[in-house]
Amino acid sequence: MIRREGVEIVVKTLSTKDIAVSANGFMSRDLYEARDRVANFYMIGSMGLASSIGLGLAIKNPSRRVHVFDGDGNILMNLGSLVTIGSHGPKNLVHFVFDNSAHESTGGQPTNSVSIKINEIAKAAKYKVFTVDSKNKLEATLKKIKKINGPVFVLVKIEKGKYVSKRIEIEPTLIKARFMKAIRNR
Amino acid sequence: MKKGIENFVGVPDSTLKHFVDQGLKKNKIIIATREEEAIGIATGMSLSKSPSLVFMQNAGFANSLSTITSLVEMYQIPLIFLIGWRGYLKNDAPEHAKIGAIQPKLISTLGLESKILTESNWEKSCNWAIGKIKKGTYCSLVIRREFVD
Repeated sequence: MIRREGVEIVVKTLSTKDIAVSANGFMSRDLYEARDRVANFYMIGSMGLASSIGLGLAIKNPSRRVHVFDGDGNILMNLGSLVTIGSHGPKNLVHFVFDNSAHESTGGQPTNSVSIKINEIAKAAKYKVFTVDSKNKLEATLKKIKKINGPVFVLVKIEKGKYVSKRIEIEPTLIKARFMKAIRNR
Repeated sequence: MKKGIENFVGVPDSTLKHFVDQGLKKNKIIIATREEEAIGIATGMSLSKSPSLVFMQNAGFANSLSTITSLVEMYQIPLIFLIGWRGYLKNDAPEHAKIGAIQPKLISTLGLESKILTESNWEKSCNWAIGKIKKGTYCSLVIRREFVD
């Protein structure tokens, strides 16, 4: 499975009410191309911060599930976020990390998730952790976690791929405006 | 500050000690591991129409420049930055000298609207900042470190 395929499998299961936040780089482009939704917040700058934005959203929107689409390179830039999320324990936060042990958006340079397991760090930070390495397992896990209180962490092992999704064609302030409108009733 | 602001997220700073301690007593504070993380959390809250303030020392403000430009400015996120100004006094600790000296230039280069809080203007300045986030924009309030410990 490549990232674009995994992202599509996850985003297909989201309901209108569900919130999504995606990391900068190819992650946001994949989410945009797989299924553009008004309740998607494409974080196209501010590298590393998708899960932090997700935490703020989760605290303020307890009746909605917040799905963070993160990458290994991104979360490794902001590991403190796992500690902050784990200590606040938002029940409505689901944190996906698509892990190809590479900074694919910048040319595929290696990350250290090869030797240090991010799912084990998440476990220490009191997430409920799931690890999947195939489309079938991802689909099965998505069904399972629907009934589980967060914070949930899903490490999705993916392969590096040559496929590149299209750029996001929406102005950042418009991404924000339509997102805020979509979630205005907390 | 309490009127109009629902969330206080940041990294503690000794200049802001009393502010942070009061907030902790009232259970209104979220402490982040780094300033960029705090801006991220506060952004999620602001996107949920819950007015937010991020507090930090100017060292952490300097850490956050890219986040301020590529998140707060680019998306126009309503936020108040409350910044403790280390290095304001010439005899402050050496690690604060450079950022302390360029602090006003740094803020103006970013195009960040800002006020320095004093005994006489603090209330008016806080109301000004709350007015800014109500209009959907961002600004900063700076507290000078006027003592050496």
